[in-house]
Amino acid sequence: MKKIKKAIAVRNARPVLQFILLMKVAFLFVMVTCLQVSAHVYSQQKFSLDLKQTEVSSILTRLQKESDYRFFYNYASIKKLGKVNLQVKDASIDEVLKAIIDNRLPYKIADDHVVVFYDPENMNAQLTIRGKVVDKNGLTLIGVSVKLQGTNVGATTNANGEFSIKAPDNGILEISYIGYEKQIVQIGGRTSFTVTMAETNANLNEVVVVGYGTTKKIDVTGSIASVKGSDIQNLPVSSVTQALDGRASGVNIVRNDGSPGAASSIRIRGTGTINDANPLVVIDGVPSSNPDALSDVNPNDIASVEILKDASSSAIYGTRAANGVVLVTTKRGTYSQKLTTTINAYTGISHTTKYIDLLTAPDLYQLKRERYTNDNVTIEAPWDDPYYSTQRTDWQRAILGTGKVNNADISITGGNETSTYYFSSSYYDEKGILDKAYFKRFSTRINSEHQLKPWIKVGQNIQLTYGESNSYDNLSSQTGLLFSALRFNPAIPTVNDDGTYGSSKDFANQLGDINSPYATIQQNDAYNRKYRAIANVFAEIPIYKDLKFRANYGFDGTIGRGYQFNIMDTNQARQTTNSTLTQSETETYSNLLDLFLTYDKTIKKSHITFTGGYSSQNFRGSNFSAARVGYDNATTAQRVLSQGNTLLTAAGTADDPTGLQSVFGRAFYDYDGRFLATLTFRADGSSRFAPGNQWGYFPAFSIGWRISNEAFMKDIDWISNLKLTGGWGELGNQNVKPFQYISTVVVGNGYGTNGYTFGGAGANGAAITKTANPDITWERAAMTNVSLEAGFLKNKLNTSVTYFDKNTNDMLIPAVQVGTAGLLTPPDRNIATMNNHGIELEINYNGGNELKYSVGANASFVKNKVTKLYGPNAFIGSTVYGRSSQEISRTYEGQSIASFYGWKTAGLYQTQAEIDADPSLSNDSRKSAIKPGDVRFVDVNGDGLIDGKDRTYLGNPNPKATVGLQTTLNYKNFDLAANFTGSFGLSLYNADRMQGIDPTYSFNLYAETINRWTGPGTSNTIPRMTLDRANDNYRTSDLFIESGNYFSLKNLTIGYTIPATLAKKTTLSNLRFYVSGQNVFMITNYSGYTPELGYTNGNVQRGVDVAQYPSVRSFTFGLTVKL
Amino acid sequence: MKTKLTLYTLFLIVIGTASCKKDLDLDQKGVYNTDNYFKTETDIVNGVSGIYNLLQQEDYISHAETTFDVASDDYWRSGDHSEDEAIENLTYDASNAQVNYSWRYKYETVNRSTNIILSIQKIPTMSAAIKARSLGEAYFMRAFGYWRLMLIYGDVPIITDEDYANLNFNIAKSTTEQVRKQIESDLLKAIDNLPESYGASDRGRVSKGTALGLLTKLYMYWEKLPEAITTGEKLIANSNYALAATYTENFTRANVNSTEILMSVQGLQNVVTNDYTIYYIPRAWGGYGFSQPLQGLANEFEANDPRKAATLLSVGDQIDIGDDANTDTFTSDLSSTGFAFRKYAVFYPFGSTEGSGPDHNYAVPLMRSADIYLLVAEAKIRTQGAGAGDALINQVRRRASSALAPVSGAGMAQLIHERRVELAGEGERHQDLMRWDKVNLVNIAAIYNLPISKAPVDQGKTVTFLRPKHYYYPIPQVEIDKSGGILKQNPNY
Repeated sequence: MKKIKKAIAVRNARPVLQFILLMKVAFLFVMVTCLQVSAHVYSQQKFSLDLKQTEVSSILTRLQKESDYRFFYNYASIKKLGKVNLQVKDASIDEVLKAIIDNRLPYKIADDHVVVFYDPENMNAQLTIRGKVVDKNGLTLIGVSVKLQGTNVGATTNANGEFSIKAPDNGILEISYIGYEKQIVQIGGRTSFTVTMAETNANLNEVVVVGYGTTKKIDVTGSIASVKGSDIQNLPVSSVTQALDGRASGVNIVRNDGSPGAASSIRIRGTGTINDANPLVVIDGVPSSNPDALSDVNPNDIASVEILKDASSSAIYGTRAANGVVLVTTKRGTYSQKLTTTINAYTGISHTTKYIDLLTAPDLYQLKRERYTNDNVTIEAPWDDPYYSTQRTDWQRAILGTGKVNNADISITGGNETSTYYFSSSYYDEKGILDKAYFKRFSTRINSEHQLKPWIKVGQNIQLTYGESNSYDNLSSQTGLLFSALRFNPAIPTVNDDGTYGSSKDFANQLGDINSPYATIQQNDAYNRKYRAIANVFAEIPIYKDLKFRANYGFDGTIGRGYQFNIMDTNQARQTTNSTLTQSETETYSNLLDLFLTYDKTIKKSHITFTGGYSSQNFRGSNFSAARVGYDNATTAQRVLSQGNTLLTAAGTADDPTGLQSVFGRAFYDYDGRFLATLTFRADGSSRFAPGNQWGYFPAFSIGWRISNEAFMKDIDWISNLKLTGGWGELGNQNVKPFQYISTVVVGNGYGTNGYTFGGAGANGAAITKTANPDITWERAAMTNVSLEAGFLKNKLNTSVTYFDKNTNDMLIPAVQVGTAGLLTPPDRNIATMNNHGIELEINYNGGNELKYSVGANASFVKNKVTKLYGPNAFIGSTVYGRSSQEISRTYEGQSIASFYGWKTAGLYQTQAEIDADPSLSNDSRKSAIKPGDVRFVDVNGDGLIDGKDRTYLGNPNPKATVGLQTTLNYKNFDLAANFTGSFGLSLYNADRMQGIDPTYSFNLYAETINRWTGPGTSNTIPRMTLDRANDNYRTSDLFIESGNYFSLKNLTIGYTIPATLAKKTTLSNLRFYVSGQNVFMITNYSGYTPELGYTNGNVQRGVDVAQYPSVRSFTFGLTVKL
Repeated sequence: MKTKLTLYTLFLIVIGTASCKKDLDLDQKGVYNTDNYFKTETDIVNGVSGIYNLLQQEDYISHAETTFDVASDDYWRSGDHSEDEAIENLTYDASNAQVNYSWRYKYETVNRSTNIILSIQKIPTMSAAIKARSLGEAYFMRAFGYWRLMLIYGDVPIITDEDYANLNFNIAKSTTEQVRKQIESDLLKAIDNLPESYGASDRGRVSKGTALGLLTKLYMYWEKLPEAITTGEKLIANSNYALAATYTENFTRANVNSTEILMSVQGLQNVVTNDYTIYYIPRAWGGYGFSQPLQGLANEFEANDPRKAATLLSVGDQIDIGDDANTDTFTSDLSSTGFAFRKYAVFYPFGSTEGSGPDHNYAVPLMRSADIYLLVAEAKIRTQGAGAGDALINQVRRRASSALAPVSGAGMAQLIHERRVELAGEGERHQDLMRWDKVNLVNIAAIYNLPISKAPVDQGKTVTFLRPKHYYYPIPQVEIDKSGGILKQNPNY
């Protein structure tokens, strides 16, 4: 079965891809759904009238003009009431109506309208009423429910937005449609009319997607952020993850690398664990084994993204929900919907937002020489050769160019009475600012649904994606590409006169043993390809009245192919002595089966919903790679594996399995719209743990009180919604390496894999690489959530404030690895605990009439603290930086994860007297080697010498606050949307600057070193020029800690929709043009490329600048066409 | 209704079959573990190869180990590892990266060896010869791990077989004396079990001679000079460990068959990179240009000693590095000190059909018989007086060149000279000087401050050798931090 699935996925990919290739030349366009603000107003108005012998109908007309009430009545019946006198002062509507109608006709007063019943005599006069329902833009609405008030007679609009219904001429129609205000229409004898629907103003009637179902937003008792697809479409980003930045409180998008297609991390309510802290990603009900699934989805296919933040809402995914859940729902057609074709296209260019100021060759030459003069030693070659005092290349500008982004997609959607469909194809092509760095994606989606019989509905979602990318290493402080550009000597030309690439090889110990970044790019020949299918089929069967059964089978399969040709180059400092070609293939897939029941019942004032069932998902993976070394002919035509001289490696694994089994249930209870409760339970078994420890049980509950629905709130009209919710629950995390309950022995041949050489032949070797922890089990996160939501001014203004407290318990951390254990990787143990708590604020305002506008702001304040590790002085180390392997980040008990750790400084020694008098050096054997112009380190432990024991906490890279601000403006045919984001209260470690101002290295230096210490008072921050490292001036210290605060305009889009009348003439139903800027500006004091540094070693190192890919500013022009 | 009933039934069946328990009880494929490995003779032989594997790791012998001779007056660190500068100038502290790397690799050697020693007893059927050899290799390698630990750190924890079986690694230090006894005990077992020599296909394994050699060295560092003489003479008397015909062949491709090489890192092109070559040859020739010899070492050679040309590349020397038909000239811009080690500069000759550039099929010597000859000579001089070591010293000198005048009545000065020129760049000098300094035979602090003991760029620096602090390196600070108080820092750090 599995094999067949895979075959289908691959075979179908080809024709689809060809089709998309054709689409590449096709046209594009953009659509934006504008928020429509309803005109409904409610009031408790008083009337003062003095009228003589006036028609009742005229009085009602006048009342309607002067108040917010609207009247619905049968004209003929009212006419019969004739003329009346009316004299009232400060009368309520009730009093007025009593006076004029005087019990001659029945009527009913609702809070915003008055219905005057028709004369019962006319009740049987049935007419066929025809009508059409449109939105404010005149576009037809399909599937709108039309109902005759007080009866069960109803109809829905067809594909042309038309309906017909039998009704009395004085009947009243109720017209309702999800997302729109209900319209009450008096037939008034008409037989044909057009109804214009207005979109709802507040989110209250919105439906949000929750695990295994949907719910109305007003019923939600947990904490769910919802982002509409329309808000994140046509942004020039490769993944929806980047588009989510700043759009929801409690959701922090951590940009790790600006390379095209690079995945950002999502952190929901802080970093919850030292292990994989990415949320579970569920695409149309298929939980993905891999969070990068989001970059495979065409953002324009997305209808909504829901982020389940608290325990209660995510507990239904208890298995993997400890880090929150991201639910992606793609667009679907609706029944009886006219075929709509939408084309989007945009194109744009991008540039780096920043260059670092570096020394030019003459200044560098001078400073390099000054080192020897200061040390009183002879100047070494090549610093006596004026060749190196001539500026030849600005390496940053030699490699950072113009990037391009192009996107084109088409979607076709519609439906008839029994089927719906949504089809889309897209092409996204991003070329990075570094040559040959790119990300391309072709994707096709087919979503459909069919009501086969009244008792069964089936449907499917299929997404086929082909992705291709290439990127450079920008994290290594030995070979990183931007690192190399910042360090490579500026006197070296990009290309020598003889056509070879400029090189530092001849003086590598003086110019740096790094390769020309320009040569690296020119010689680069590599790609990664990815073929992915995410698909599910489902069937829904109403078993009995309110009880529904749903089965869902999902498949997620990826085939990855890698190709890398490293060409022989002995001209560079880091030589490649032989050409090598490596090709690899990986395959991962998972099968999902969900079977669940949904029961939905309203009994009087009680509303009960139950969802429960069974779920299982298994994962398999395998990989294969081979490499050959030695290419006699290294031209591109011969770069295939077979042409290599010697087999270097051939390796593979097959069928790495993991699996999950789950039973889950969720009960929701609502009493009278006032009291709400949700109870969730999930039991999960994971194969990642040893038999006996596999099952975890995860309960959660939450309750809500809709205070605004209480009787005592009825008169407080400025509050339109007030809801208090709270809950608690436990969630699991099993995303650690599988089979840790078994040890590992690695048998291999060669350098890295335990092999050796005897008698001139390779011999297999074996070693234990990992010990076992038979007790390993679930990591658990317990979360408390309290939230208050309030809507004001008829829900124009919505606010919420949420407090959460999340404790991760039994956190899996590697048992402390003492060096005497050698190279053994210790297994994870359920030892540690971590706390994240914080406050989330959201405020949204929608206003305006002709000029409509909305402003939404959110802020999250999260405090992370590791509350328990192995013991009070224990820590978890992290990756080290540079040639001398400097530690920068340590995670200690009592501190935030990934805090900076090093020495404190107190400026520079200005005079020898200061050194002589410094008690911090009284016992320091290095004292005689320390000179004025060296850094004065703080003797934290007061033992009279500076050593490793003086290291201490230096800063926290996790932001105290993150904010987002979205604003939209609509005026006539113009629209504008802006998204601002910001991070505050965090420290960054500028490791690149630490090395960039260090003259003991052989590299180029930052331009600021021109302001180095040259005598007392010249500088207190940039040490003297020297080759002497006795004082280790550039050890990890607070000299390189900087504030990471920033506020940025992530995106600004301005659009113009051509008037409908004009569009019609061109046979288009809608046409919009726009320009969009990404990373438009950033306000920050941070001195490196970008303060958005991200993670550089799992979760245990963050905010360390190792010359990551800079932020890229792009501007795009696009259009959206609806045919 | 019938339809519905069918559906219900179907539903139940699907649930029943789908929730099959086997979805969670999964088997690993293609991975061995301690329950299914180290059970057969092949597994044991592979496990022993796994111990040897560590010798070639960059953070063990090839880079980390050479840095522990950087402080010596033989060579200058070069390169851009600031931690090496601290080691060179004796300004290192317990956080020094090299001090840190070194520790884990040696304990990995110890632990892999212990695993073999414990596993081998449980193998039901195994050839007696392979069993004895493997056991001997494991005992030797464990001794070698502790030997390097003891030289570098002094007092270190001993992981007993019981500790290893219980994965109990957080252990307090034993004294240097206890560590030496541990090494002696393992070496004696190794001597009992190891064969004297090997056939061609097992070339590169440690032999009885290797164990005898290391035991001799242990006794010298232990100041047990009579024991050193007894043990060393066993080795010297055995023709399997005779000096090679020429000095130079120890440092060429031909050395793979040399009887003199007691222990080596075996290389194999494209499989096992010979890091010594990469680290020692100049940048422009495909290496990293680390460990550049100092003027003092060049001065040490007698005028007619061919070992100078075999050891050093000096300005004007010719060498075929294989890049074109001409021989290449060593020029001053290839080194900051004006010298490079030729010992490790092994290249494919121009036109070779085997390969080009540095030749990794060459074995890096880690212990040579000549070293043992000179140690025994030293022990004799120190126990029996000047002249007692003449015969052994002259064997070494005569092998180097018949033009070298034989010594007569040689005392420690001649021995110290001979050890330096014979073993330059082989990691012995710093340890020798400290060993002699401890018994007042030399003044290491004075030697290290001679201008010829320092590179041109370090001429302005004062190197302060503090006794006893600098006899040992500190225990890595990170290990002290991780041990939670169990591991104590060496005194003076």
